Amino acid sequence: MHKAKNYLLGLAIALIGSISCSESQDFDQIDALEVTPTVEASMIYVEAPERIINQLTGVNFIQQTFNFDAFAEDFVSENLLDGVVSYELENTTSKPLEVLIEFLDDADNVLDSEFFTMPAAPTALLRRDVAYGMGGRNIDIIRNTSGIRVSAENLGDNSSTSSLPNPMVILRSSAAFRIRLQ
Amino acid sequence: MRKYLIAFSIFLLHAVVFSQHKSLLYDFYEIPQSLLLNPGVRASYQWYAGVPLASGISVQAGTSGIAVNDIFAQDGLDINDKIRDRAVYGLTSRDDVSSTIQLELLSGGFRDPNRDDTFYSFGWYIEQDVINYWPRDLAVLAWEGNAGRYGERFRLSHLKTRGEANSVFHFGINRQMNRQLTLGARAKIYSGIYHFSSTRNRGYLLTQEGINNLVSNTLVADMRLQTSGIAALEDGADSDAGLSSTLMKRALLGGDLGLGVDLGFTWAVNQQLLITGSLLDVGFMLHSGDVRTFTLKGRATVEGVEVILPQALADPNADFWEDLVDEIEELIPFEEENSSYVSFRPTKLYGSVRYDFGEPSAGGGQQSCDCDVGTTGGAELNNTYRNAVGGQLFLINRPRGPQAAITGFYLRRIGNFLALKGTYTADKYNLANLGLGLNVQAGPIQFYVLADNLLGYRNIANSHYASVQFGLNILSWGSK
Repeated sequence: MHKAKNYLLGLAIALIGSISCSESQDFDQIDALEVTPTVEASMIYVEAPERIINQLTGVNFIQQTFNFDAFAEDFVSENLLDGVVSYELENTTSKPLEVLIEFLDDADNVLDSEFFTMPAAPTALLRRDVAYGMGGRNIDIIRNTSGIRVSAENLGDNSSTSSLPNPMVILRSSAAFRIRLQ
Repeated sequence: MRKYLIAFSIFLLHAVVFSQHKSLLYDFYEIPQSLLLNPGVRASYQWYAGVPLASGISVQAGTSGIAVNDIFAQDGLDINDKIRDRAVYGLTSRDDVSSTIQLELLSGGFRDPNRDDTFYSFGWYIEQDVINYWPRDLAVLAWEGNAGRYGERFRLSHLKTRGEANSVFHFGINRQMNRQLTLGARAKIYSGIYHFSSTRNRGYLLTQEGINNLVSNTLVADMRLQTSGIAALEDGADSDAGLSSTLMKRALLGGDLGLGVDLGFTWAVNQQLLITGSLLDVGFMLHSGDVRTFTLKGRATVEGVEVILPQALADPNADFWEDLVDEIEELIPFEEENSSYVSFRPTKLYGSVRYDFGEPSAGGGQQSCDCDVGTTGGAELNNTYRNAVGGQLFLINRPRGPQAAITGFYLRRIGNFLALKGTYTADKYNLANLGLGLNVQAGPIQFYVLADNLLGYRNIANSHYASVQFGLNILSWGSK
């Protein structure tokens, strides 16, 4: 009887063991895994009504340096791959304008700049996409950017007023960058 | 790092489902551990003692929607394509990753010397239960990002996770009320080792064209993560005494405390037809020590740094970026508190219908079936028929509602020393789960091994479910 029990037990275990197998797996594939989402968000929005431009009589009616640490966060700067910064300028004032956008590092050194010239209204929206990485400008510019300086110069007078409703100059901008999570 | 990545991938991407149902053990009353699944089972032993640390070991695993083989097979496909198609977009928020592991440390039982119809059982086991639903929207967000996905809401409610490890001390009473009815109840004291829960999250992340700027990002969040014991384990791991010291302390009533009860019955409609049912872990835990609750609640829409003249000229030293960060933190504060909280145990429900038939196995096959249960000669009655066939139902309360499993079974006894049970189980994860249980009685030594989803063993990497339970007891049948 004991032999029979041992035989049956052994048979059951052997049965499970013998049918248990697995196709060969290649766990090294995990090295090829790439998780690279593209994250999109607005950057800076600047709005200057014409009546304010008329009051500011210097060369630049806007000269503002912004602390902009979105790219300077360690995780972001270390894992940025490539992307696009988009600008949109709208001018409904009676004045031609020049706008300069500069990317600055910690020491306020200029890493990159973008220059726009806009005629007086009426004029179309001015859109420009600037690529970084992957054939575009050096992605290190973005990685090292911790501030943005916006300068706007009035090339016209300080008295005229556009016939358009609520005349102003508007700068819109956004960024869409791929980040490596894995 | 690589090991962790693989483990994390397996954990998250394979939607492992460790189901808690033990269809093979349920109502397999030759095995004393069946008392843990139904305290009202027909227990006819005089006494039993589980071999410490070896009387009941249960490990169950399964996969839903995807298996290890789907990702790591040597099929020449790009792993990124496989993960995108089979995991990120292939799984739904109802797929879950969970595990249940149970280890009996001590167990025993004895018949009341003054009442032969009453059997007491007791023990101590450690149980870990973790469930993590596939956070589909967040997985898509992590995989693709939000760029260009205007109007698509990435739902935070897809983040649902719960886990706990408890040490359970229990004492049960099993009483045969009459020839037809056996009732049982088990009281439990839970000693919580760790617990975390984040199951009622709401909100979304939404990207749209902006009103002022080009893009607007909106976060609406009502999220909460409750934890207890996690920090203590971390501190224990860093201490000189080590993690084991903290684990033992919290397992021996030094952590959170809770109470629970199991209820069960067996009703013999006639000598061959039996109906059973049980309700397990109706209880709660009070988490009062080492509690940390994290919340993120609020709503914010961001369109970048906004500089609007002439207001922006008022403060030439303004830090618009910091102002934006502060504003977001004020609108959606991330907070931590230490208030105690109550959690409820994942309650389980079993039911079965069983029909015994065939030639009586005891007494050389000549025994009359007109016998009394559990008075004297209980063992004879338990072995009355060589065969049994029936169906079982299992339900468990989960964060996304009850999960069910239905089982058909056939049980065959060979002499007095061997019993085999075969099962066919279907649930949301596996419609063809064949299981086999083996119980061997060699004198006072009793050994059992139960394995689910035998078909999956043909290629374990492609299996959607696997389960093994085994144990060793010393047991006495027969009259006192």
